[in-house]
Amino acid sequence: MKEGELGRLYSHGEIIFKEGEKGDVMYVIQSGKVKISKNSSSGDITMVTLQRGDIFGEMALFDKLPRSASAVAEGDTRILSIDKKKLFSTIWKDPTVVLKVIETMSSTIRRLSKDFAELKKKKQNMLCGTMDLEETCSFILEEARENIVAAENGSIMLLENGQDRLHIKAAFGEQAQEKLKLAVGEGVAGDVVGTGKAELVNEVLTDSRYKIGSLEIGSLMCVPFKYQGKCFGVLNLSSRRGNRFTLDNLKLLNSFSRYAAIALKNVLCMSDLKHATEEVLKHASILDVY
Amino acid sequence: MLSHGGRSKSDFAAYVSKQALADSSPYALEDGSKIAVVGGGPTGSFFSIFALKLAKMIDKELNITIYDPKNFSKDGPAGCNKCAGIISELLVQTLAVEGINLPDSVVWKGINSYQLHTTKGSVSIATPSFENTIAAVYRGGGPKGIIGEHKESFDDFLLGQAVKEGAAHISVKIEGIEYKNGKPVLFSQGGEIEQADLVVGAVGVNSAKTGIFPDMGFGYEEPRTVKAAIAELSFDEEIITEHFGNSVHLFLLPIKSLKFAAMIPKETYVTLCILGHDLNANSVKDFLDYPVVREVLPKSLSYKFRCRCLPKMNVKAPKIPYADRVVMCGDAGSTRLFKDGLGAAYIMGKAAANTAVLHGVSKQDFQEHYYPVYKNIIVDNQFGSYLYFLADLYKNYGLLTRWMLQIVQEEQSDPEDPKRLSSVLWNMFTGNERFKNIFATAVSLPMRFDLWKAFAKTLVRRR
Ligand SMILES: Cc1cc2nc3c(=O)[nH]c(=O)nc-3n(C[C@H](O)[C@H](O)[C@H](O)COP(=O)(O)OP(=O)(O)OC[C@H]3O[C@@H](n4cnc5c(N)ncnc54)[C@H](O)[C@@H]3O)c2cc1C
Repeated sequence: MKEGELGRLYSHGEIIFKEGEKGDVMYVIQSGKVKISKNSSSGDITMVTLQRGDIFGEMALFDKLPRSASAVAEGDTRILSIDKKKLFSTIWKDPTVVLKVIETMSSTIRRLSKDFAELKKKKQNMLCGTMDLEETCSFILEEARENIVAAENGSIMLLENGQDRLHIKAAFGEQAQEKLKLAVGEGVAGDVVGTGKAELVNEVLTDSRYKIGSLEIGSLMCVPFKYQGKCFGVLNLSSRRGNRFTLDNLKLLNSFSRYAAIALKNVLCMSDLKHATEEVLKHASILDVY
Repeated sequence: MLSHGGRSKSDFAAYVSKQALADSSPYALEDGSKIAVVGGGPTGSFFSIFALKLAKMIDKELNITIYDPKNFSKDGPAGCNKCAGIISELLVQTLAVEGINLPDSVVWKGINSYQLHTTKGSVSIATPSFENTIAAVYRGGGPKGIIGEHKESFDDFLLGQAVKEGAAHISVKIEGIEYKNGKPVLFSQGGEIEQADLVVGAVGVNSAKTGIFPDMGFGYEEPRTVKAAIAELSFDEEIITEHFGNSVHLFLLPIKSLKFAAMIPKETYVTLCILGHDLNANSVKDFLDYPVVREVLPKSLSYKFRCRCLPKMNVKAPKIPYADRVVMCGDAGSTRLFKDGLGAAYIMGKAAANTAVLHGVSKQDFQEHYYPVYKNIIVDNQFGSYLYFLADLYKNYGLLTRWMLQIVQEEQSDPEDPKRLSSVLWNMFTGNERFKNIFATAVSLPMRFDLWKAFAKTLVRRR
């Protein structure tokens, strides 16, 4: 590329403008490509890659808000800048000058509403296609009972968002106590979630932590669900008989719970994402009119 | 396009009924209406591009034919519409916004500064945005004898854009136009060509006088012109890079017959353009022998003359530029005085297109919607005449020249300075700003007392 051509040269990766900056210049690409990206909690998201003849930064002409995205050169790129003040005096004399800019904005709105429609569709797929939390918990319990060790009763208890109480999310066996809630440190399960250590109790009635409920149990195993070193729930298996489980059973159940924890965490993240998407779509629903 | 804000209902009703009337008028363009554009220079192409774009937007289909016998890809004067080839910053940017991006194949050099040369020294004025914002182009295939076809001419590019939008180009010279049953009919040497709903006169001022438009009898007279001089010098590319860079070299010299001269680098060529009065075949040589010019272009630098011409320049617009179904645009109508003729071609070509497509092609339509733009340029040129008069004083009188140079040097060396005189000079010679606005800045410049005295003395002496 020669120095003598029109515009200004930007080399690969050079920032033309940054999201959040004040802007009063619009740009036209003379040659090369420009990536328009937006910052998000999970890193930069490329919205679109523009090429020769495309206009960008045009929103700055019509509102006084900071740049809504960043523009970065992809490879060597030559760009012509257009000053807002000068352009406005031209628009004043001949408003049809901006027909092409309006066309660009209109196609951006179309692209965005298409993206939102796709997002909405994905959200629906997400809702139908993946299991919810309770379903996953039941599935994990089922797996534990069938493939790890047979037990008469079982439950999965999780710490609810931001709270320090364990709630039962799934259970099987006799008169499963779906409403039981335990604070961290309370009962065997509450203790395990606090310490993060798996426990085998063969004579439940002699354990001082045991909270007598309607279930009659002799022995139990309780293993934690951990993710990145943090406990967020437990898996309980119990039997009416004492000395029902062995140390090997506990080891096996503990390693099973490590994988189950990952699955559970994914479902939890997914449901957070789902909420976030719903939120975005709620705000963006205005675009549906186009 | 209508704003309701602050208007009464009856205003709106009046507008709607006027619009309805316009749509049903015999002078409204309809689907299939024929437009003949005489002249395929920038004005003819701009008219066609914008008329077709606008018509498409409102679902109208127009038949536009551009008549021009010139082949803009040919080298030398035969393929060229003869000018210095500077596309102003404002025009480059406005065209880009319109979606007409000048490709690299058309731009021979991107310009980012002006070097001003006077008898009292030289100074550089850079573009406010520090990028190559001005395009140096050729209007034809390039200087005579140019080898290879690596570049495209500006006029060819624009004509191509018009054809892309849907215009037809026929390589024919129009020899006469006559009204028949209220509609103009075009003739070439071979006889009648077509009857059109509208004829656009975009013939410029540089073709052999045929008098086709004055002969139509609607009161149009060809514009008053002065002769300018252009020469193409060829150099080794390194010499151009080293001595000219990306700058237009502007000469303000105390030669009475000379307004100003410019040297514009274009790859291995430099276009020398001299504007003034009574220029002739010797003007180029006289200019090149001038000591200030010799400093920029020392004798040791060898160059060859490739092309020369003495094109005409419109300095006074005709009074009556339109009639029913005829409109005169660009150089054949009103253009900016001594600068940015291409910018004016864009403005006037588009104003005619907007009028024809959105309003109609009657004399009344042009009077209401085209003439205000036409007149604007004429009025602005009056400010221009005064500014050139001032520039004459500054270049002809040493004290003023020195003062001007000193101020510009100070402005350019201080990044914080608002650079008012620099911007006056920049806008004056680049076509970035209307003369009226430059004038407003120029008269608000602070002047030192000793300069006022010198200025007054100069004026008295002139008397
Ligand atoms: C010395 C000089 C330097 C200049 N430098 C610059 C500059 O640096 N920048 C700038 O912006 N402007 C410059 N100008 C002004 C610029 O050249 C004109 O304003 C511009 O060319 C006007 O365009 P136009 O289409 O109206 O006319 P033209 O460019 O003259 O085009 C007219 C066309 O009409 C065709 N034509 C004529 N008669 C007929 C006919 N009977 N039938 C068919 N076709 C016909 C011709 O072949 C020609 O192609 C300069 C002018 C001069 C004289």
